[in-house]
Amino acid sequence: MHHKSRTRAHSWLSRMYLAVLCHMVIPLTMAQAQQANQPAPPGHGSFTAVHAAKGRRLTADHSKFLILKGPFKEGDGPAVTRACLTCHTKAAQQVMATSHWTWNASKDGKDGYGKATSLVNNYCISIIGGNTEGCARCHAGYGLKNKDFDFTRQESVDCLVCHDTTGDYEKEKGGWPNPAVPLAEVAQKVGAPTNRNCGVCHFFGGGGDATKHGDLDDTILKAPRLEDVHMSKQGAGMDCVDCHVSDAHQLGGPNYVIPADRREQSKFPGENLSRMSCASCHSDSPHKSYILNRHYQKVACQTCHIPAFARGTLPTNTYWDWATAGRLKNGRGYKEEDANGFETYNSIHGEMVWQRNVKPTYEWYNGNLQFLRLTDTITIPASGKVVLNPAAGSYADPNAKIWPFKFHEGSQPYDTVLNRFVAPYTSGPKGSGAFWGDWNWDVAIRMGMETAGLPYSGKYGFVKTSMLWPITHMVAPKEQALNCVECHSRNGRLANVPGFYLIGRDRGTGIDKIGIGMVLLTLLGVGIHGYIRYTNVRH
Amino acid sequence: MRRVVLYETFERLWHWAQAVMIILMMLTGFEIRGLGIHLFGFQSAVSLHNILAIALITLIVFAIFWHVTTGEWRQYIPTRKFLREMVAFYLTGIFKGAPHPVKKHRMAKLNPLQRLAYLGFKVLILPVQATTGALYYFYPNLQHAMGWSPSSLWVVAVVHVLGAFGLVAFLIGHVYLTTTGHTPLTNIKAMITGWEDIQDDAYFEES
Repeated sequence: MHHKSRTRAHSWLSRMYLAVLCHMVIPLTMAQAQQANQPAPPGHGSFTAVHAAKGRRLTADHSKFLILKGPFKEGDGPAVTRACLTCHTKAAQQVMATSHWTWNASKDGKDGYGKATSLVNNYCISIIGGNTEGCARCHAGYGLKNKDFDFTRQESVDCLVCHDTTGDYEKEKGGWPNPAVPLAEVAQKVGAPTNRNCGVCHFFGGGGDATKHGDLDDTILKAPRLEDVHMSKQGAGMDCVDCHVSDAHQLGGPNYVIPADRREQSKFPGENLSRMSCASCHSDSPHKSYILNRHYQKVACQTCHIPAFARGTLPTNTYWDWATAGRLKNGRGYKEEDANGFETYNSIHGEMVWQRNVKPTYEWYNGNLQFLRLTDTITIPASGKVVLNPAAGSYADPNAKIWPFKFHEGSQPYDTVLNRFVAPYTSGPKGSGAFWGDWNWDVAIRMGMETAGLPYSGKYGFVKTSMLWPITHMVAPKEQALNCVECHSRNGRLANVPGFYLIGRDRGTGIDKIGIGMVLLTLLGVGIHGYIRYTNVRH
Repeated sequence: MRRVVLYETFERLWHWAQAVMIILMMLTGFEIRGLGIHLFGFQSAVSLHNILAIALITLIVFAIFWHVTTGEWRQYIPTRKFLREMVAFYLTGIFKGAPHPVKKHRMAKLNPLQRLAYLGFKVLILPVQATTGALYYFYPNLQHAMGWSPSSLWVVAVVHVLGAFGLVAFLIGHVYLTTTGHTPLTNIKAMITGWEDIQDDAYFEES
């Protein structure tokens, strides 16, 4: 699964120049450089070993199948899917059972978690208030634009977005293929999903590269080892699907329903659906030190091994203040950017903050984030800040561990009478009623809630909100793992994690004063005694 | 006056090894505690502290064996005899150049105050430190098995730390009192070489 290089080849001239440089001027340094460029020897976790194994994964050369030669009409994704289904007869039904298709995950036996539901966040807020068609660019299907979409139509499943290996496949609004995509060519080169297939959507959550997750962005595709020891080609060279293993198109590790790191681990890959725990590869006692291994009981691997997120070259969004959106200059929206070209203000979003190398927030977490939805009544605490998805767990909870999170703050509109969050209609042209076209919150919320089929009192306000995003990707090499004192100290990273006595953090200063006082008194006594002896001897 | 071997080879090795270990445990312990010592780094300090704990307990097991088999444990039997005189000596006599009220003997080399101090050290401070240390180390396991509160580790911590400060105070007093011999270095020399000059008419024979 080698990625097609998008960089331009060196020109003849520069190659010539390099050749002269290599052979005549600096042969010694070049020899060293060549040595450094050699691929890692095959072995555990090496790029070569992993990829050699991947070569064996496919049992068919899809360019040999006549039906995939098409021709397919421009943008006719469903025709490609029909061709796929002639052999993979069950594939569409399998995909239809997944949240990649339904955008609706059930949690604790209840439906209603996912983009297509009344789940709410503090980035783009919600897609169901009329924004579905634009957001459906990332739907694993063709034609999703509103509630009327037929979720049972097999040919609407988009096989190519996950199985394209050329990098030429692109989706547009409604999830339709870009008409310029050479569908037959793409269809004949399908294969197992690579990081790029997953990344075209998951790197861009929240509307842009690196925006939402903090530990997922497209710098991972070319990450140095320091950024992501698993995904980097200089590291293990792994693909997303090496951990997110699948069974009949059901992928392991959806955020809403699978606790990230439970005690009941799969002991070997594939033992159950999810290979989502570090322990399924690394075991639950990977350190030489007994004490370090014992941390596993209460501390997630990620806590020490992901010292910061957004460690690539891209910053992630840490603050999104919808309350400030809609300021206009001469009746038009405008943008302000920071020194690196990231928006600190945009009329369509409000004020924003972007950060790189962000220290996570730490919380007890048993895999259960308690999401608020548009249908839930909210109570605004004294702090004025509503946590949209508080993490469940405590020291006493045997399934809970201390986990790192991206803490995302901001503000968003809510119904001040019904005390519920609202789903505004944001993305649309002037005259559509969408906020980005007409800059009127009341209209945008009214239209959004009507589309969503939810009540709106007609009174809205803004409330400060925060969200927790579990950090689990961008694992650093072991030499970058946290030092003990990052947590075992007075004002360390775990300063606010409650429920237990932490050595180095919780020492009682009163006891220290008593102890030091005892020692000082002894010194004083000894000093006085010695002084009297000394002066008496001199007499 | 007679020169005798007051401290056997094992006794001296035990004493000095124990001294080095306890001082290292103080340094590592206070570094872990976060009292501003930065000698080893937290992780190495923790490892060293735990290794030293095992080593010290091993040494103490050997020392107990030695004391029992040689009968030397009798040196630590507390006595009131000359106790008052010893206290008076340290409070007043020593300043006037008065003679030491208790003469050392091969079979009674500790004065009554030393007997009390060292016995307390051996049966009180060290066991308390060893016990609270073990509780500290195994607290996660014990907490889980016994249903203790995860926050109650502070009780263990407080006792262990008070013991540690007690040891520092003991060390200061101990080192100072070694200078109260015939000359300031007499006692330390004896603990290094084993030899000390003692008088034959020691109180042990009288009693």
